[in-house]
Amino acid sequence: MSPRLAARLGSGLFWAAVALILAYMTIPALVVLMTSLSPSELLEFPPSGLSLKWYARAVSYPDFQAAFANGLIVTAFASTCALAVGSAFAYLIDRYVFPGRAALEAVLSSPLIVPHFTTGFGFLLLGAGLGIGRSYLLVILAHVMLVLPFVIRSVYVSLRNLDPHLERAAANLGASPWRVLSRVTLPLLLPGMAGGWLVAAILSLTEFTASLYVTAERTQTLPVAMYTYIREYTDPTIAAIAALLILGTTALIFVANRYLGLRRILSIDAH
Amino acid sequence: MKHRVPRRRPFFLAFLLPSLLAAGLFLAALGDVLQYSFRTFIPGSLDVGGFTLENFLRIGRPIYLSVLLDTVTISVLTALFTLLLSYPVAYALVRARRDWVRTLLIILAITPLFTGEIVRTYAWILVLGSNGFVNSLLKDAGLITAPLSLLYTRFGVTVALVQFSMPVMIILLATAISHVDRNCERAAANLGAPPLMVFWRVTLPLTMPGVISGTIVIFAWTMSAFSTPQLIGGGKVLMISNLVYLQGLSTFNFPFAAVLSLLALLVAMGSLGLIRPAIRRLERRVALH
Amino acid sequence: MGQGAAAGTPPFAAETAVELVGVGKSFGPVTAVRELSLAIRRGEVLTLLGPSGCGKTTLLNMIAGFEEPSAGRILIDGRDVTEVPPYLRDTGMVFQSYALFPHMDVFENVAFGLRMRKLPKAKIAAEVMRALEMVKLGGLERRRVRQLSGGQQQRVALARAIVLRPKVLLLDEPLSALDKNLRAQMQVELKELHERTRLTTLFVTHDQGEALSLSDRIVVMSRGEIQQIAAPIELYRHPANSFVASFIGEINRLPPARCRLSGGEIVFSLAGIELTAARRDDLALGDGQQVHLFVRPEHLAVAAEAAGGRNRIACRVVTHVYQGTHTLTRVEAGALGVLQLRVPGGAVIERAPPGSEIGVEINLDEAVALPD
Repeated sequence: MSPRLAARLGSGLFWAAVALILAYMTIPALVVLMTSLSPSELLEFPPSGLSLKWYARAVSYPDFQAAFANGLIVTAFASTCALAVGSAFAYLIDRYVFPGRAALEAVLSSPLIVPHFTTGFGFLLLGAGLGIGRSYLLVILAHVMLVLPFVIRSVYVSLRNLDPHLERAAANLGASPWRVLSRVTLPLLLPGMAGGWLVAAILSLTEFTASLYVTAERTQTLPVAMYTYIREYTDPTIAAIAALLILGTTALIFVANRYLGLRRILSIDAH
Repeated sequence: MKHRVPRRRPFFLAFLLPSLLAAGLFLAALGDVLQYSFRTFIPGSLDVGGFTLENFLRIGRPIYLSVLLDTVTISVLTALFTLLLSYPVAYALVRARRDWVRTLLIILAITPLFTGEIVRTYAWILVLGSNGFVNSLLKDAGLITAPLSLLYTRFGVTVALVQFSMPVMIILLATAISHVDRNCERAAANLGAPPLMVFWRVTLPLTMPGVISGTIVIFAWTMSAFSTPQLIGGGKVLMISNLVYLQGLSTFNFPFAAVLSLLALLVAMGSLGLIRPAIRRLERRVALH
Repeated sequence: MGQGAAAGTPPFAAETAVELVGVGKSFGPVTAVRELSLAIRRGEVLTLLGPSGCGKTTLLNMIAGFEEPSAGRILIDGRDVTEVPPYLRDTGMVFQSYALFPHMDVFENVAFGLRMRKLPKAKIAAEVMRALEMVKLGGLERRRVRQLSGGQQQRVALARAIVLRPKVLLLDEPLSALDKNLRAQMQVELKELHERTRLTTLFVTHDQGEALSLSDRIVVMSRGEIQQIAAPIELYRHPANSFVASFIGEINRLPPARCRLSGGEIVFSLAGIELTAARRDDLALGDGQQVHLFVRPEHLAVAAEAAGGRNRIACRVVTHVYQGTHTLTRVEAGALGVLQLRVPGGAVIERAPPGSEIGVEINLDEAVALPD
């Protein structure tokens, strides 16, 4: 075999492997979409027809409606709070050296490492201790902590990429620190903050394990309601909800890629 | 990078306070777990009794040890398979020539990360169930007559966990691969190394820090997976997280649940903490920083 | 794929090491290299010189096999390697960024190619040591490459390539990452290294100084096309077109002139002025032909008197740029526009301050006349 042929063959095999692996990653989502459109009560492949009845059932199911509303409330507050806290902290660690900086950074990024059930369980105990029970407040606090590392990271990267001369130029032209922050720094950080907020919102909306501990029936979020449903019923109503979530996040990712450039955000463009 | 240290620190306190508050809350939550782990369980009550070490001794019972062992086994296997499957995708993602291929790859690769664990777990129930996608496919092909039991097995749990872990691994590996100087690979080829040799002698060694940290991150991550073993394991495959849930929210044995949570936390932090110096050293060696 | 010589391929000449036959490369709608043919003689240093984006690096990458040509064939030692992958081409590339393997020490870097050829251990060690001695890096073989200075890294990259005695050594702007003093020193060493190894070398640079001092022949490229192939002196003295004339060295381009042959002389009339030159073989111009004259700054001199005399014109000094061994003086020469003179030393700065009137003598003995 000529080396050139071998190279072609090797590259063909490589891409075939990549395609297979991607199929493995993608097929579950496709199966969900397929199931959600099936008219049958039982799970079956291939589906015997096409129907939207599970979607109708899913959106009209009161538990899901309530849980979705809860989720939106929690997500809105949690990701916005996390954005404020996280941006401020990212600014601090980019600009200042102060005692305890490393420790504070370690604590605030540890929710990435601490198992979600440990965090959830901890906040459950904390809620009981503070006498706030499994209220919205507790759920929001837990979510703020869980998404905070992502916001800090995103804003921090934007700060790092900021040309420090711009702020000096503004100060040199007579802008007060507050004006520098509001007229120069913040506008330039907006893409990073928007990206951080978006990631935080998606993660909060879909967070399950910790939420299972800190929510009560009154405050349960959508993933918790779905979990309860899966344990009790086997019909494809969940498939419809799941399909909506899959399509929603895929669309969001497309948008994020278009306007923010995923490869740039993740810094995986070849040098 | 040097940090600028101005004499005046605008916004310092205003920006610091919210972070301190958040850190305080989080530490208080973890502190509660620690505190409960030393308290006596009073069956039938949410209140706890005096201080004791008994909860820690309870882990030593064979039934809990076997859960611990299962958790570690599943996590190790998941981390290794995730690595094997993610590397080719990450490589393709960085090195594909066409822009649209790279965009398609990144979207396919990271979308599963954002659909949430319940959706992903449910999807695998549909794929692995006895009337599910795989069994229907095999039956239609005439390869099997009775459905294979894939659900409620360690195999099924691992298959699902690997898929969940891949986006994170792909991102970590792709970052590492993108930092490899393309010309180093070209130089190796120019010196006579065939493609596989270039990979083995240049690309892989230079991405080793990413490989190791990725594998450990996935290991720690899988150690704390909950919904997959809960739903796909269906009580037949128990991981530490399921035990915490059982003890905490079914039996309401908060003290023992606290001990198990701490244990999981320690394993996760320990495995990540242990490798940090090793990774640093490796990164210096291949001069990434 | 058709093997061997395509129709029109000239027969392989024994003294040719590398031959490009109608090689072209386009990236989509963008043409990087227009189809061109070129032969590198065995043992020579051939330089591809041109501004960035002229296609020289693409050409180098095609010879190394990193890029596939869109058209044409590439022959190394008479063998058609157009379809051969890089690792079987036996070319020795030195990258602009050196591309040393950061996870290996100096010895392992240099040994890499020998290991790929599965040479016995003892032989590898001997060859590596010899190559390192040759680039004056003896004793540093166990250093990590990141602990080396830029110049040392450059030498490792060279040693790594020459240790294999490649059929052609490909140097991609190898000196551009070095600071100025080191660059001058490495130029000398590269030259000496070539004297000793006699490796066929293709050198890519955008620095005309490097090209002039290192090359046996220079290929001037612009916009994917070859402008001229010539030895350095030839190139400097007789540029083939106005691109080459202005790219190599400093040159004054005079307004269009009409020639008139009169006895042993050629008279150029331009913008109401007449300049005369002795007839020379390389100024084969016809009567009445329209040309542009190109004159190097060193062929302009400050005259004793302001006006009168052959090829002397009245000018007003604009600026002086003092450069140590000489001064570059810009003068306003009326209809001839702004001219640049290269005056030895710095005395001219005091003698003719900006604004003063001086006479400038234009020596046309080495001037270049290019048709319009």
